[in-house]
Amino acid sequence: MKTVGFRSIVLYLLLFAFLGGTGYLVVNLFLHGNQWAMQPYNGHIYAESSTVKMGDIKDRNGNLLATTEDGRRLYSESETVRRALMHTIGDPYGYVSTSVEYTMRSKLAGYNVITGLNDTFLNSLGKNMELTVDQNACVAAYNALDGHNGAVIVYNYKTGDILCKVSAPTFDPSNVPEDIETNDAYKGAYLDNTLASSFTPGSIFKIVTAAAAMEKWPDSWMDRTYDCEGFTEIGGDTIDCLNDEAHGSQNLTSALGNSCNVYFAHLATDIGAQALQKKAEEMGFNQEFTFGTVPVSKSEIDLSKANANELGWAGVGQYTLTANPYHMMVLMGAIANGGEYVQPKLTNDLNLFGSLGKDNRTLVSASEAAQLESLLRNDVESYYGDYLFPDGMNVCAKTGTGEVGEDKAPNSWMVGFCSSDATPYAFAVLVEEGLGGIESAGTVAAAVLSALA
Amino acid sequence: MQSGLLPAVLLIIRIIVPVLALYVVWRSYTSFKKGQRRRDPVIMLWDEASGTRFPVLYWENSIGRSKSCDIYLPDATASRDHAVLMRRDEGWVICDTGSKSGVLVNGRQIDGKKVVNIGDSVTMGSTTLTLWNTDAEPVKRRVFTGFSREAASPFKLMFVATMVHLLMAVQGCFQDGGFAPVQFVPFGAVLIMGWGLYIFSMRILHRVSFEIETVAYLLSGIGINLLAANDIDQVKTQLAAMLIGIVLFCFLIWFMNDMDRVAKFRLYIGIGAILLFAVNLLIGKDINGSRNWIIIGPLSFQPSEFIKIAFVFVGTSTLDRLQTKKNITEFLIFAAACMGCLFLMRDFGTAVIFFACFLIIAFMRSGSVRTIALILVGAALGVFLILKFKPYVAQRFMGWGHVWEHVQDSMGFQQTRVLTYIASGGMFGLGLGEGCLTDVFAADSDLVFGLLCEEQGLLLGLVVLMAIAMFTLYARSDVTRSRSTFFSIASCAVAGMLLFQTCLNVFGATDVLPMTGVTLPFISAGGSSMMSVWGLMAFLKASDERTYAARRASKHGSRSGGNPPPTSRGRSRASDPGRRREEMEDIYS
Repeated sequence: MKTVGFRSIVLYLLLFAFLGGTGYLVVNLFLHGNQWAMQPYNGHIYAESSTVKMGDIKDRNGNLLATTEDGRRLYSESETVRRALMHTIGDPYGYVSTSVEYTMRSKLAGYNVITGLNDTFLNSLGKNMELTVDQNACVAAYNALDGHNGAVIVYNYKTGDILCKVSAPTFDPSNVPEDIETNDAYKGAYLDNTLASSFTPGSIFKIVTAAAAMEKWPDSWMDRTYDCEGFTEIGGDTIDCLNDEAHGSQNLTSALGNSCNVYFAHLATDIGAQALQKKAEEMGFNQEFTFGTVPVSKSEIDLSKANANELGWAGVGQYTLTANPYHMMVLMGAIANGGEYVQPKLTNDLNLFGSLGKDNRTLVSASEAAQLESLLRNDVESYYGDYLFPDGMNVCAKTGTGEVGEDKAPNSWMVGFCSSDATPYAFAVLVEEGLGGIESAGTVAAAVLSALA
Repeated sequence: MQSGLLPAVLLIIRIIVPVLALYVVWRSYTSFKKGQRRRDPVIMLWDEASGTRFPVLYWENSIGRSKSCDIYLPDATASRDHAVLMRRDEGWVICDTGSKSGVLVNGRQIDGKKVVNIGDSVTMGSTTLTLWNTDAEPVKRRVFTGFSREAASPFKLMFVATMVHLLMAVQGCFQDGGFAPVQFVPFGAVLIMGWGLYIFSMRILHRVSFEIETVAYLLSGIGINLLAANDIDQVKTQLAAMLIGIVLFCFLIWFMNDMDRVAKFRLYIGIGAILLFAVNLLIGKDINGSRNWIIIGPLSFQPSEFIKIAFVFVGTSTLDRLQTKKNITEFLIFAAACMGCLFLMRDFGTAVIFFACFLIIAFMRSGSVRTIALILVGAALGVFLILKFKPYVAQRFMGWGHVWEHVQDSMGFQQTRVLTYIASGGMFGLGLGEGCLTDVFAADSDLVFGLLCEEQGLLLGLVVLMAIAMFTLYARSDVTRSRSTFFSIASCAVAGMLLFQTCLNVFGATDVLPMTGVTLPFISAGGSSMMSVWGLMAFLKASDERTYAARRASKHGSRSGGNPPPTSRGRSRASDPGRRREEMEDIYS
């Protein structure tokens, strides 16, 4: 009897396994319960008879962007606002996975692991959100896009507040078009182009090539000149400037202002593929950025297989390079901010992980930042014209036209920032199939900055 | 607290339910512990030659030269496992367990078993022991008393358990903001069955303990009320099964009272089990990929559930048989046949449960880690071969650990729904009958833990799990107190099997383990499962020596007048042996 009694301790093995498994389950429930509960198929949230009342979302000036009434999710009263902010706020079906309604859905639903999705007073505490975006700036951006697809993102590089985040194609979340899956006009409408897409950068990449030159020849980069006849031959093939315009003898400052491809192609060749690749990576290419919990689409550069001609084209932002608007914006923020950027955020709510991640990275050195700033300032002052932008904003910027081939008009870019304490804004604007850098993207940037002035 | 009066009241009820349920589960266990007899020697054996006294502590005691024996004889001429001294209805029985030199009672060689009385001398090897009443003072025990000194009255615990059911029925009645008094019908049926068993057991049979039945009643009622709120029609089967289960429970307790009867029927039970499996394989119906159903007319049942009971019967054994027949070959063959049949039926979940049960029994019988290791290696090889030649089996478990990558396909559909709705329910649930998990296949059987947590909250889910897990503690605490190793091994096997099955069900549905599709004892919809779980409870109950005590005490009482008091030899302290003997019997009542 004694031995049988002793052997019964084998039951403890089972009991411990049981306790371990239960503990594991409960711990995971407390850690991930909000993600588990907030699934698009959850009948308690998304069904007609849902007991859950999602919280209100407002912009920085208190304009109501989304609310729930009688179990229905209602968005802003203005259709333009709804369209402009659809990717930022969200759609009723949770298809835009980078939106606030999707990433913050457990907060908006007032979920907590104790009361679950019960609609108690505990859950209604702190379920409303105030975003950092400015409704008017977003509307201005959306209107300025004028039906083009593209991305506009602007933030305060001192505080990190995102002021404007607009992506197109978009749709009205209150009247989701029935042909959204079939109509080509809505192709990619669920993607937020500011975060989830990357595009050929074109001339805005010349900022990186310039920074690589500064690193390689810290004392003599401003004295390097090349002659531009409108086109040149590198590696047995041509590289030409826009409209084959001959710029004559160029130094870095004038070449950036003229956006001289010949100059930067020669410069890239002299810098070398390895050094250019390394500099681009330092400045955030091929790197992971996360915005809140959302992984941002990478900007990409791979020069390992590029021949001499392709390296030349890479130096002016063509070849296989891609750039993401969010990344371009933080790069501008870093240059404006002395090399280190402030992590952008959409809400100032302190108890949210969205604003906790102080992921401040240095993308350029302080001296390079200062030199790049004066180059970019010179672009606007001497080439684009300060008259485009509101007074006193001291805009520093670079435009770009990314050739995408396939008989499509190029992508128009403008990236830059205001060198001004009153309006410390960094921005990235992309217009697909635009007319040209300054004509399309420049107009949009000017419109947004005017709305923010 | 919540908008609207009714939802607020229902939420408060959902907070109260797990508290009351926890009270019942916890107090049942502590009361069970308190009702147990003290671990004092009942009689003793006196070695006149050396003057050594051996206290006899258990109902079955092994005697021999081996240190692991309950009564260890430091005698080179005795065998390692020489004999077993057992308490049976007829009195103390000595049984030769294949010793070399044999056992002599009062100088006469015995053949097999012989009843010994107080004063008789038993010779084993060169040691002669005399059976004596004990004269040791009872030892004061100090144990954790579980926050309360007194055992709770069985009536009170049953009453609180009924309150839990009532509160659940009230919730079911007011689900969806409506009023559905039909929900009180299953509640009433459970109440009648539970209290019927209470009256039968406590008032008619005069048993003293009712803890295991109370916990089983509590769990059955929780399960039935949960199912009733979601599908009132289906609950009829469940209620009928509970009734049959309770009858089976009472029958098995009666059946196991007579150990000779059990020994006689053991072979037939084994053969019957195998035959049932064979019939199942021949005329069984495939339901959801497993051929584990027999359908006769309007009746359908899963034979494997009942074979669990037979499996325990065949596996367990009394101490004298354990000592004589040390190998477990017979049982091994039986177990292999059972598991083979289950594999042919593709009921892998149940096969694994049988295997776990087999391991527990095999270890408790042999105590040999080597044997267990060998069995495990064999099993691993078998699993490897199955996976190699039947890759579709592995396919079923591919989603394990990656269910969130398979939200919309069969590898993770059910598990992700369970996790989502457990999380949605929080600690107190979203309300009985309000669950969304019901739309998912097998929500009331394989995924029932998710449904329970979604509607009644994680806390009640955990209390239910705790109640099942604590059966292992009941079994453990009775393991040396039961009337025979037959009951000790059986109750440990049952408790282990139920806990293992619970683990497979709960952890399978929540992606801690691969999904196997077994039922959650007492809670899952399924008549066969409900009956078999109640049947298995009989082993736990029988393991408690108090179960048979009331009957024994009265039987003895009618006889005791004719018994001459045993002569007192030498020891003056045992001056009133009659009184002592009475006390000994009292301990059992």
